[in-house]
Amino acid sequence: MTATRTIVFSPDQLAEVRRLQGLYPDKRGALLPVLHMAQDAFDYVSLEVQEYVAGLFDMAPSHVHEVVTFYTLYFQQPKGRHVVAVCHNLSCYLAGSREILAHVKQRLGIGVGETTDDGRVTLQSVECLCACEAAPMMQVDDRYELNLTPEKVDRILGELR
Amino acid sequence: MPKLTIDGKEIEVEAGTNLIEAARRLGIEVPHYCYHPGLSIAGQCRLCMVDIEKTPRPSIACNTQAADGMVVHTDTERVRDTRRSIMEFHLINHPLDCPVCDQAGECWLQIYYMKHGLYDPRMTDEKVHKPKAVPLGPHVMLDAERCILCSRCVRFCDEITGTGELGIFHRGDHSEIGLFPGRDLVNNYSGNVVDICPVGALTDRDFRFQVRVWYLDAARSICTGCARGCNIDVHVNRRRPHHAEGKRVARLKPRFNADVNAWWLCDVGRYHYDFVDAPTRLTAPVRRNNAGTAEIAWDEAVSGVAEALRRYSPDQVGVLASPRMANEDLLALRRVLEARAMRQVAYDVPPPALAEGDDFLLRSDRAPNRRGAELIGLGGDTGGLMASARAGRLKCLWVFHHDLLASGWPAADVRQALDRVETLIFTGTNANAISERAQWVLPAAAWVEREGTFTNFEGRVQRFRSAVEPLGQALPEWDLLGRIVAALGGTPAGGRAELWFRELVRTVPAFAGLSYQAIGDHGQLIPGATSAGAPTPPGRRVKVHG
Ligand code: SF4
Ligand code: SF4
Ligand code: FES
Repeated sequence: MTATRTIVFSPDQLAEVRRLQGLYPDKRGALLPVLHMAQDAFDYVSLEVQEYVAGLFDMAPSHVHEVVTFYTLYFQQPKGRHVVAVCHNLSCYLAGSREILAHVKQRLGIGVGETTDDGRVTLQSVECLCACEAAPMMQVDDRYELNLTPEKVDRILGELR
Repeated sequence: MPKLTIDGKEIEVEAGTNLIEAARRLGIEVPHYCYHPGLSIAGQCRLCMVDIEKTPRPSIACNTQAADGMVVHTDTERVRDTRRSIMEFHLINHPLDCPVCDQAGECWLQIYYMKHGLYDPRMTDEKVHKPKAVPLGPHVMLDAERCILCSRCVRFCDEITGTGELGIFHRGDHSEIGLFPGRDLVNNYSGNVVDICPVGALTDRDFRFQVRVWYLDAARSICTGCARGCNIDVHVNRRRPHHAEGKRVARLKPRFNADVNAWWLCDVGRYHYDFVDAPTRLTAPVRRNNAGTAEIAWDEAVSGVAEALRRYSPDQVGVLASPRMANEDLLALRRVLEARAMRQVAYDVPPPALAEGDDFLLRSDRAPNRRGAELIGLGGDTGGLMASARAGRLKCLWVFHHDLLASGWPAADVRQALDRVETLIFTGTNANAISERAQWVLPAAAWVEREGTFTNFEGRVQRFRSAVEPLGQALPEWDLLGRIVAALGGTPAGGRAELWFRELVRTVPAFAGLSYQAIGDHGQLIPGATSAGAPTPPGRRVKVHG
């Protein structure tokens, strides 16, 4: 996973980049999907990947870095096999997200932004994921886990391989 | 052209004028952070709120264009209240470290808090901390905690230099200004981000902690870094000499001139003033002969030089003038030459390496007044002049400013020429290899120590004014040359730079019709000259995005 590789899209991927750029009046509109493509292709969006993508958009790398650091779904370091993102925004906070986050940290033995030694889970603490009605909540990979309790968290974490 | 009413006063403005500019014209200041007339509109700081009749909520003045019949109020209770709240937002995470902040005294957080804030802070939580004292490159220092995220610096790098180094990273109250990791803020114009940063987030590494801004005095001047002649203010520290170890010139700041430099200044020019307070400054006339080297009084130096000029026939004397001299100095030099009918004069000494210009303001010609020297008729065959010195045909050589031994000429040739002349005279501000061996050294005042004019590459004549007294006994060149004119039996134009300028206008047709008064603060083109105005910034010329 950490093996170095050349950061270049295949001809097919480049064609896809051009297609996406063509969908918007300003090609920068395609930056988010292209960054996702890059993340899939190269595992994570390292600085080198960001510079490469900036080149595809004729943008300064600083502006790609702005986008990458703004969103929690872009990873600048290799990430674990699973990503757990606990919401810490207002509704979840009022419903006890602080305790939930503390519990997750303790069970995984890592802090926010870190990955377990076995490469199993990366932990994030994130802004509102738009499920306030079921606070406190977290996102595990592509799933929402709602109305969390410590017990429920234990079960969910236990199922991650 | 829309006609609108602001705070009860009517005004007509060109279509497209925003409410900040329209109000400014009535002398009404709408407080703002992110708006800058030289940059695109970001609408980011929200401080410029005004009330517009028939609009339910306050609107931002920067992004609202004047419209016919619009009625604007900039000082209602609701506007004042909004400003107070916005100020409170801007200061929530601000470290309030004014006592150790270099911006204190010229900080728009301080100014607007006193004018529009004055609330009781309600922030009881721990503030968000961010990196402090981070060098962003050779000239700029970042304190991310003090930043109010107005994005002026980011827009500058995108829209003016087109280099895009800066960005706003992360999100919410963790947002911070920075560089792409591993890169530096290195472009020819980096110092400008300090000027436009409204707060103490970006400070100048060169100026930091030298002197508090409230001890500074300013004089309007012209940059001497190249032939463009950007308009500047010279900031000097006369009141607290012990604060910067006697360094009098504290910094150079751009002064707006739509036709020359707009709001900007390049780094070459901005930091080109160290020589003024350098230990190498020449501060007294010097005579050097077999008996040794002695500092002498001006009278003695003037009569000594005049006598040396008289001793030789005119064709035995060569003069290397300098395109760093002001128009007034060049005319005074011409009068000296005329007094002895001397004809061998030139100013074009090749630089050791050709300086590079850029695609914006900076010119490859790094002298401020080559055009003036040419118009005043001091151009000649420099190479030929040096050749006759080497051949022993010159007995006396008078060098202004140039260090010939550090020029584009082979040092051996220069040495041969210097060895063969009997009398070497040097006039300049700082010591160099030529002043070290000259028989007569006449110390010149630096441009910030005197008045005068330069003619820029387009033929725009611009005035610079005196910010400090000349160091030691140094004199403006028009003054010391005027004294030599008198010693040679001529009549100097007078004891003020302006009188020399009047004589220039009277006697050199290229300058006909000009006057100090007409030149004013923005310069005046010589007859027949045309100006292309300040160039379009590279960031606007190339489309950086999409
Ligand atoms: S560093 Fe200064 S200019 Fe740049 S965004 Fe912050 S406050 Fe604005
Ligand atoms: S462009 Fe020339 S005149 Fe303008 S600041 Fe730079 S050196 Fe000075
Ligand atoms: S100046 Fe209008 S929003 Fe900042």
